[in-house]
Amino acid sequence: MTTTQEAAAEPSVHDRLTELAGRLAAAGERPAPPCPDAVNTAMIRNWTQALGDSGDWSRVAPPAMIQVWSMPGLVSEKGGSAADEVLRLLDESGYTGVVATNCEQTYDRYVRAGEHLRPAMRFGGLAGPKKTAMGEGYFVTWYQTWYDEDDRRVAEMLFRVLKFRPRKRRAGAAKPVKPATSLDTAFFWEGAKAGELRIQRCADCGRLRHPPGPMCPSCHSLERDHIVASGRGVVHSYVVHHHPPVPGRTPPFVVAVVELEEGVRVVGNVLRCDPDDVTIGMPVRVTFEDVDDDLTLPQWIPADAPDDEPPPHPEEPALLEIPLTPTFVIATALATRDFTPVHHDTALARAQGTKDIFLNILTTMGLVQRAALTVAPGAVLESISVRLGVPAYAGDTLRLYAERADATTLTVRGAVSLGDHVTATVKLKETP
Amino acid sequence: MSVSGKAAIAGIGATEFSKESGRSELRLAVEACLEAIRDAGLEPSDVDGLVTYAADTSSEIAVQRELGIPGLRFFSRVDYGGGAACGTVAHAAMAVSTGQADVVVCYRAFNERSGHRFGQANSSARADSTGLEFSWHLPYGFATPAAWVAMQARRYMHEYGATGEDFGRVAVAMRRHAATNPRAWFHGRPITLEEHQTSRWIVDPLRLLDCCQESDGGVALVVTSVERARDLPRPPAVVTAAAQGTGPDQMMMFGYYTGDLAALPAMGRVGRTLWWQSGLTPGDIRTAILYDHFTPFVLIQLEELGFCGRGEAKDYVKDGGIELDGRLPVNPNGGQLGEAYIHGMNGVAEAVRQIRGASVNQLDGVEHVLVTAGTGVPTSGLILSALP
Repeated sequence: MTTTQEAAAEPSVHDRLTELAGRLAAAGERPAPPCPDAVNTAMIRNWTQALGDSGDWSRVAPPAMIQVWSMPGLVSEKGGSAADEVLRLLDESGYTGVVATNCEQTYDRYVRAGEHLRPAMRFGGLAGPKKTAMGEGYFVTWYQTWYDEDDRRVAEMLFRVLKFRPRKRRAGAAKPVKPATSLDTAFFWEGAKAGELRIQRCADCGRLRHPPGPMCPSCHSLERDHIVASGRGVVHSYVVHHHPPVPGRTPPFVVAVVELEEGVRVVGNVLRCDPDDVTIGMPVRVTFEDVDDDLTLPQWIPADAPDDEPPPHPEEPALLEIPLTPTFVIATALATRDFTPVHHDTALARAQGTKDIFLNILTTMGLVQRAALTVAPGAVLESISVRLGVPAYAGDTLRLYAERADATTLTVRGAVSLGDHVTATVKLKETP
Repeated sequence: MSVSGKAAIAGIGATEFSKESGRSELRLAVEACLEAIRDAGLEPSDVDGLVTYAADTSSEIAVQRELGIPGLRFFSRVDYGGGAACGTVAHAAMAVSTGQADVVVCYRAFNERSGHRFGQANSSARADSTGLEFSWHLPYGFATPAAWVAMQARRYMHEYGATGEDFGRVAVAMRRHAATNPRAWFHGRPITLEEHQTSRWIVDPLRLLDCCQESDGGVALVVTSVERARDLPRPPAVVTAAAQGTGPDQMMMFGYYTGDLAALPAMGRVGRTLWWQSGLTPGDIRTAILYDHFTPFVLIQLEELGFCGRGEAKDYVKDGGIELDGRLPVNPNGGQLGEAYIHGMNGVAEAVRQIRGASVNQLDGVEHVLVTAGTGVPTSGLILSALP
């Protein structure tokens, strides 16, 4: 068959990627689109105001602003990166997902207002295919470098993304499976929406029954109503789910058979309790989990759990606590000259499958710098190296923690309700 | 009147067991069927009945077409996942003993590893009665067979003091048996109890090595009357008893709402029927093929079938109790934990080999073999016997 022969003659995606990556790497450094403006005090002021940075930046620009100087602004044609060809080939080959994983900036010296910077870029490398939590993918790395008017390097940045084949089911990402309902079971789910744990009762013999059904197995009556259970019960048995991933739940999580004080059993998750602390016989009480407008699930918490959910990270107080208001997300995006719609257009962000608008990476770099300089006032930064985690969505709160690892090294962590948004290492220059 | 002693398994056939067959499920089915028919010394034109699982993707008429069978007089399907395994033989035995058919082939074939994997999360619920059962569980991420079995296993541990090590002894025995079975996926790869105890959690209290493997493959069995089987080349495996069973308030693997979670009442019912039909007792069974999708249910089956009392299985499996030289060798082929997961059908084939004296892990003096099907679901069982 000729088709088979053609397919055999066609190099594999991996071979094409490897060849392209090799060619780009061999091409070395090339000019990037020029910076629209010289380093200037107006943009620095916008940036410090938006990020809430109260440092003294009257003589030099904040180092974490370096990428801002070469951002093209709100223009139709994007500047592009040294990896565009590789990214395009990955897109065409089904690796359509993208997530930024690393950003590392090294500062040779701080720049001053009035300087004209000249950016350059070069391809870094390609690694893969690798199995990741997001799906199979390739890590793509590229560099951007800034030179001064004497062609001396002032800063360099490494940027790495994971291009992945989106999985059909993403662990913990999708919503829980919706129950199918029938004329015999709908009252239960409607009850949950109303905050009631409804248990079917035979209207003739009074027998309670869960799960419900159309005919009383005891007296064969078709007449039924329901009681509203007290919501108190004990764990009759339970499991701790670790594997495989399931929609809408993040392992490890607990599923229990709860025996109600009314004498029937119900299955649900035990929430707000360390899986190690769940035991058979443990008293629990009902709570209601609103999955979305259509679905509320009866769930279980330890009987002595407080009514209000404790904060997910009740640990040490944060160094900086930043409410991620829409204004903060949008103002910082614009102050870093990042006009990508997912950072300012809520409807469009949601249409692209994210929960809301979210913080851009240039701002995250600036906030890491801010946290580092809060712990080490007056220090001069040599580099910021960050690993990116979960998105920091509008409406959430970013809590930044920083501590000194040694005389010239700081570690910075930024957490949101979904987990760690950023973990960073900040290197300081030796103080003379 | 009963089905006992009227029908026999006269032929067995199977594909290789793999993780990626590279062939269609229908092709696996007909490869296994043809081998079983030839093994029985018959031709496809002799076949007039086909039985498979409701879960099988290859219909009886599709198999008929591929094999060139001129026409069928009997065809049926048995529902509820792996609980169907022995049920297919029960249906076939009923058909040949009542004259509804002369030669019935039972088959099960799938790409369960390379295609649709049962161990992955169920992610949608239909609005039929079974889908409504799932709907009380899937929204809570309670969505995999391992999780559903683990719920009963935890209660069993609580009631009787069984431990993860007791479950581990089942896995160690199965992997020991598979180690000397060249057809087994885990041929040459036994495990220790320590390896079991350090394998990762799947759904606590079940570890990875408590869960059977996932496999591609097919197995087929030829059932005919004992009279006809006597004239065929292979020693017949007589169907001395064949039973299906459900328990009170039975659900598809969700028997949590009434009664005892540390029990498998459907298997208890199957066991009582098997003993009644056969007139045998547990002491007459030389080896048992117990459905081992997950280790804890092997323990509970030993209790439900009367090999030991309630809560005593943990002692029964100690000191190699279910290994080849133990008091009741279980799954000499390595079971689904060691040989392959063909939804229980490979276990029936091993029972036939033990009756024939043709197993790689052959036991001496085999007269009666008890076989069970998937547990936690509506289930089935067989007692197969050598001709007296």
